[in-house]
Amino acid sequence: MAASSMGRLVTLCRQFQRVVNISAPVQAQYSTHTLTRYQCFSKRQLCEPPWLSNTGNSAQCRLLHTSTIRMGLEEFFDIPENWGEPTVKSGAPWTAKQLRLKSNEDLHKLWYVLLKEKNMLLSIEQEAKRQRVQMPSPERIKKVERSMTRLDTVVQEREDALRLLQTGQEKARPGAWRKNMFGKNLWHRFKEYPIPWHLNKRYKRTSYFTPSFVSPYTRLFIEKQLKAKMRKQRRERQERQKLAKIFPKTSAHA
Amino acid sequence: MARRVIYPLYQLGNPQLRLFRPTFTMTLVRPGKEQPPDTVQFRIPIEMTKIDVRNYLEKIYDVPVAAVRTRIQFGSNKKRNHLNQRVKRPDYKVAYVQLAQQQTFEFPDIFPKKDASLEEGSLEEMQKKFMEDERQRQKPDPRRGGVTEWFGL
Repeated sequence: MAASSMGRLVTLCRQFQRVVNISAPVQAQYSTHTLTRYQCFSKRQLCEPPWLSNTGNSAQCRLLHTSTIRMGLEEFFDIPENWGEPTVKSGAPWTAKQLRLKSNEDLHKLWYVLLKEKNMLLSIEQEAKRQRVQMPSPERIKKVERSMTRLDTVVQEREDALRLLQTGQEKARPGAWRKNMFGKNLWHRFKEYPIPWHLNKRYKRTSYFTPSFVSPYTRLFIEKQLKAKMRKQRRERQERQKLAKIFPKTSAHA
Repeated sequence: MARRVIYPLYQLGNPQLRLFRPTFTMTLVRPGKEQPPDTVQFRIPIEMTKIDVRNYLEKIYDVPVAAVRTRIQFGSNKKRNHLNQRVKRPDYKVAYVQLAQQQTFEFPDIFPKKDASLEEGSLEEMQKKFMEDERQRQKPDPRRGGVTEWFGL
């Protein structure tokens, strides 16, 4: 038990080290938003101020960070070139593999880019519903949603790894197996209280134990479950026998 | 904001609770009833509050907000399905946001009608006609009923 947990910790440490090793060079080459609608965003970035784009050689350009221009409420709509088009080109959603290579800061920025994109698509969808026309490329919504869920899983993975390294807790929200008053074993998730439990009347009202007079019923409950299981097995066996009697030549697999 | 997150219990003097990945989505909609020029209408999730809306617009979209009013729209449950059971449309919250700094907003026409008709004798028109003819020629014989070409007497 202890050895296995130690082994797990060691492998996790190794994974974490690998992640750190990989992420160090990645931070240097800054990736701009390769969004689902990267085409449009490249256009948006084109209209950045000239003093930002006038950076001499290409190496500087790559390190230079420019985010998209904030346009206020116009960001709730697509760029005007795409208005009235039947389809809008879009790329693939972000995969978890791609997102794992990004730094935390990049992921945080990407979340807001995706959120704005989703808001825009939902606004377009609602307007299309209202005017009773087809929305241009409705598959974009699903793509953005997938990217967002994947980003979420990647961030949670990192949180888990960090928590395991620092505290050794397996779950974000600690808990324990507790028996309730009906003798059932349930996972109880711990909650924060403003006062300690022995002063907390409301907490003391909850009963996390099984009274002694319930134990015969627990036995009966187990017996009932076992009987149901046996009955099910018997029913299946009898059905199989009956079928074998009617169709003697068919194989057992058919 | 990861789903099913529980925040640490807030007590006076604790640091402010911060949201790193908000999942709230705001939908900008065309107002059904006419609104003043500085008012923008949004559909927001029910859990979102006025303060949330203000922070969302000011921090993420950089829009100056003067005032926010909200109401909850009841989704109708009048529709019936084929089993004559009531079908409920989900409720949602509507936010009316007044912009500050004398900003105005008008909902643009994002689905303008584009003329699809092409000129007579132009290159594009001829190309389109040619492609249509080709498509017609490529179609299989309907009398064969979907049987492949190589099969037959």
